[in-house]
Amino acid sequence: MSLLQELGAQLRATSEELPTGQVSVAMERLRSATELLNWVRQTSVDPIGVPQLGNATEHAEHAAAALRLAQDAIAAYLAGLGLAADAGAPPDRDYKAGLAEGQQPSPQPDHEQPAPEQLGPWWRERVEKLTGEAPPPPQENGAPPQRPADTAELLQRVAAGVRSGDRARLGRDLHGVDAATGLGLSAVTSLVLHRLAGDLLGHEPGPDDLQRLRGAAGGRVRSLLPGTSPAVLDTLLARICRAPQAEQAPAHPADSAVTASVLTGVLLARLGRDPATLDPGAPEPLRPRGVDA
Amino acid sequence: MASVAEVRAAVNAALQQVTEGQAAIQAAREKLGEAQQSLAAALDGSANDAVGAAHASLSQADQQLEECLGATLLAVEQAQTYTATL
Repeated sequence: MSLLQELGAQLRATSEELPTGQVSVAMERLRSATELLNWVRQTSVDPIGVPQLGNATEHAEHAAAALRLAQDAIAAYLAGLGLAADAGAPPDRDYKAGLAEGQQPSPQPDHEQPAPEQLGPWWRERVEKLTGEAPPPPQENGAPPQRPADTAELLQRVAAGVRSGDRARLGRDLHGVDAATGLGLSAVTSLVLHRLAGDLLGHEPGPDDLQRLRGAAGGRVRSLLPGTSPAVLDTLLARICRAPQAEQAPAHPADSAVTASVLTGVLLARLGRDPATLDPGAPEPLRPRGVDA
Repeated sequence: MASVAEVRAAVNAALQQVTEGQAAIQAAREKLGEAQQSLAAALDGSANDAVGAAHASLSQADQQLEECLGATLLAVEQAQTYTATL
């Protein structure tokens, strides 16, 4: 390897290791928190930190844009040296960054902060409304049911339930987690949905793709979640397509989280991919030129 | 019917998401610092405009992340003040 090649390899590695995935994770966590607080405060004049979270999300978006500019500048420099910037570039895994973060142990909560277990009935009630499936009765031998360890595992289970078309299984898996794990689905699915939709369409999703995606996924989402509002699915699809969203009251956070997870499963099934491909360590599936949606 | 305990728990669930976001921001800043050092070492002595642009963008990204973190701290403080009044 020549000195120039070594320099090029080092710069490419630096560019690829820029924390774009972590910044995306931060953005999605902050958006998810904002959505939940907005729902809590919708009839209160107290902002409960929502404007500050909006500012924080905006700063994170600017940071992400600055990182992309840095990557572009490095690519331009490499091109100026006569080195192709994208030679041997690894597949983009940033969209799974949220799933990988979910597998890390969570930071220890503050001593004064109680665990959000009190939301259990609130979560289960909403899951029942969305899926039409009542919480499963306790097991006869008293053994606790097997529960997903974290949100990433829950998403894989939901995707497996969608693939098999088994609404009872979907209900069991969603009932089986606490509210915090379930609500986390909103944050981890955002980037995954955008990527899967892009793979299905064969290009970056845009506002013109809204109708096509609705046609590809809407029916199956509604059949698995008869209790979800069409507005929730439309909001999710508009986000994926970066299309303007209709002004409406904040959706119930559980509705957004559950519908996003089922939509993820539907898009995966449309692509013919196994739920295990959501594992951050799984090899990247080949990106199709576009599946007939 | 919602109870104070449920409202408090919902705010705390949101704050848990913020905590995870803060952890991601801190991890991003650490990686960014390493990238800045690596870039500075590799491109020491270069006067190329693209190199200057890369350095400037990384500094800007770090500054934005710092401000992001500051805004989340204010948000957490405000939300905790609110739940204390419930």
